[in-house]
Amino acid sequence: MTETTSRDVAGDKPIQIHDPTLRDGHHAVRHSLGADQLRAYALAADAAGVPVVEVGHGNGLGASSLQVGRARLSDDEMLSLTRQALTNSKLAVFMLPGWGTIDDLKNAIAHDVDLVRIGTHCTESSLAERYLGFLREQGVEAHAVLLMSHMATPGKLAEHCARLVEFGATGVGIMDSAGHYLPTDVTERITAMCGAVDVPVMFHGHNNLGMAVANSVAAAEAGASILDACARGFGAGAGNTQLEALVPVLERVGYRTGIDLYRLLDAADVAERDLMPAPPKVDSISIVSGLAGVFSGFKTRVLDVSAREGVDPRDVFFELGRRQAVAGQEDLIVDVALALRGAGTGDRS
Amino acid sequence: MTDNGSRAAAGRLSVAVLGAGLIGIDLMTKIARSDHLDLGLVVGRDQATSGLRQAHRFGVPVATGGVQSLVDSERPFDVVFDATSASSHAEHVEKLAPLGTMLIDLTPSRSGQMIFPTVNRADISAHRDLSMVSCGGQAAVPILHAISQIHEIDYIEVVTTAATLSIGRGTRMNLDEYVDTTQEAVRCFTGVADVKAILNISPARPPATFRVAMSLLGKDLTTDSLRSVVTAAAAEVRSFARGFEVKACTANDGKGFVAVEVTSSGDRVPSYAGNLDIINSAALLAAETYAADRLSMAGG
Repeated sequence: MTETTSRDVAGDKPIQIHDPTLRDGHHAVRHSLGADQLRAYALAADAAGVPVVEVGHGNGLGASSLQVGRARLSDDEMLSLTRQALTNSKLAVFMLPGWGTIDDLKNAIAHDVDLVRIGTHCTESSLAERYLGFLREQGVEAHAVLLMSHMATPGKLAEHCARLVEFGATGVGIMDSAGHYLPTDVTERITAMCGAVDVPVMFHGHNNLGMAVANSVAAAEAGASILDACARGFGAGAGNTQLEALVPVLERVGYRTGIDLYRLLDAADVAERDLMPAPPKVDSISIVSGLAGVFSGFKTRVLDVSAREGVDPRDVFFELGRRQAVAGQEDLIVDVALALRGAGTGDRS
Repeated sequence: MTDNGSRAAAGRLSVAVLGAGLIGIDLMTKIARSDHLDLGLVVGRDQATSGLRQAHRFGVPVATGGVQSLVDSERPFDVVFDATSASSHAEHVEKLAPLGTMLIDLTPSRSGQMIFPTVNRADISAHRDLSMVSCGGQAAVPILHAISQIHEIDYIEVVTTAATLSIGRGTRMNLDEYVDTTQEAVRCFTGVADVKAILNISPARPPATFRVAMSLLGKDLTTDSLRSVVTAAAAEVRSFARGFEVKACTANDGKGFVAVEVTSSGDRVPSYAGNLDIINSAALLAAETYAADRLSMAGG
């Protein structure tokens, strides 16, 4: 198999690759990336022609906290040095209403951000209304993404996407935050969403069950035109869709990403060398979190708390799934672990 | 009795509720039980809304003219509960303050004197624009205030989780005000400058009980030292919000963690919606405290 093989079949259906390595990857390293790390990867991604680079704390603007983890760098530092490193790639940020506020959006706009994504739990799109309206007034490109999307039916996701477009989103998408999907699940959902809106549709995969690349291809085949992927899959738990695998796979299937393969592989090598102690892997606990349908970002906290309380982290994940915990509810981990240990420390005694 | 002076003398104040959403309608039910408050009017936006229909069925006079309905009322109300939206509160103060009305603000506007009935009761009758801050603030501040009395705290984080069914459109459009106002209240009542508030909305079925998780950084925090003050503060809050319960209270390595949950005591809101119950119960207690203070002044 030579490089020309993939070039020969490269098609002309454009797909926009959106790279949140420097945002979602933060979940894997307790939000600890420093200035040199951000700069090195941003320069490499820019050189490869990655169209959009997203940066920030793992939960987005304003999210540095004990609940999820405190970031080494402030939003200001992350935005200004990434902005400087990017010449061709667009700079994107992510914000969860209830975590970040309009002041955080104003700050990002002051840093000349090109694209803002507003995320909400998949059934809470109304929380995005005010922020999408604000961004529209400001003339900033605003997309909306639905988190933990396996918790809603294709029809519900389509309805929420249609509302997000009414609120002002110029792109809508879903995240498989728990890495729970199989390709047919993705096909059903993206098909329903594409039928409900006339803006670009996005898919963001997680690799808990080893399905992230296959799921992303299924999304493209069902009509998604924006795909998220991270270098070496850098991200929470088993990681996200692996960028440098997804891009050549898409090209072989017949899509055009506009990304230079060798430079992309170089960028992925930079990421492995500079950003992470080791690339994410589909380890036992990540499989459990995918099966349980729990946000992969809970992994480090679940392991910490389970070790401290002497309980099986797999039980903690299944119990969090039973309680339908959503992204952001990390405070439940302690309660679940204490309950499993069978010794509550509340005042009910 | 025909005038407000003699109402006050009898210890009963005339009351109106501005806003007929989830908060306004639950408040209506609580006021109706009060020995000190006479509910004269519930004001909404639109006769067809379910809130105003419920108020009408409940036998309370209703109006749709917003704050103007209160200004145009034959006699000014002694107390008006503002259960509208943060951005409207300033106008309501401007229109009603000249009439001598006590405003009790349930929006996160941050304009009035912040009130936590178990912490600063004495401030109630000294002001005419009271802010009930936020549901998360009402659950967190009594606990955090108590902890800050005995511990040196460097950082406080308050993470609130409310069930999606208990969060109306007003709150959904006011998340930023919720965050700002809650942070400001925690700073003000603990003296800790570095404070962060976060809000999660849970879609779980059956709905998740309203929950406030507080994380603190402070060198001398221990599980035992936390538990004694937290238990005492929780008992005080339970005197007006019966469903207030401490679910976790631990400290390790200079990091404290306290989680409370609040179930509703009934009325118009289901058990999981303790967020509505605690802010409304606190607002009601503020109004009754004002009534009692007026009575003791009139009598004394």
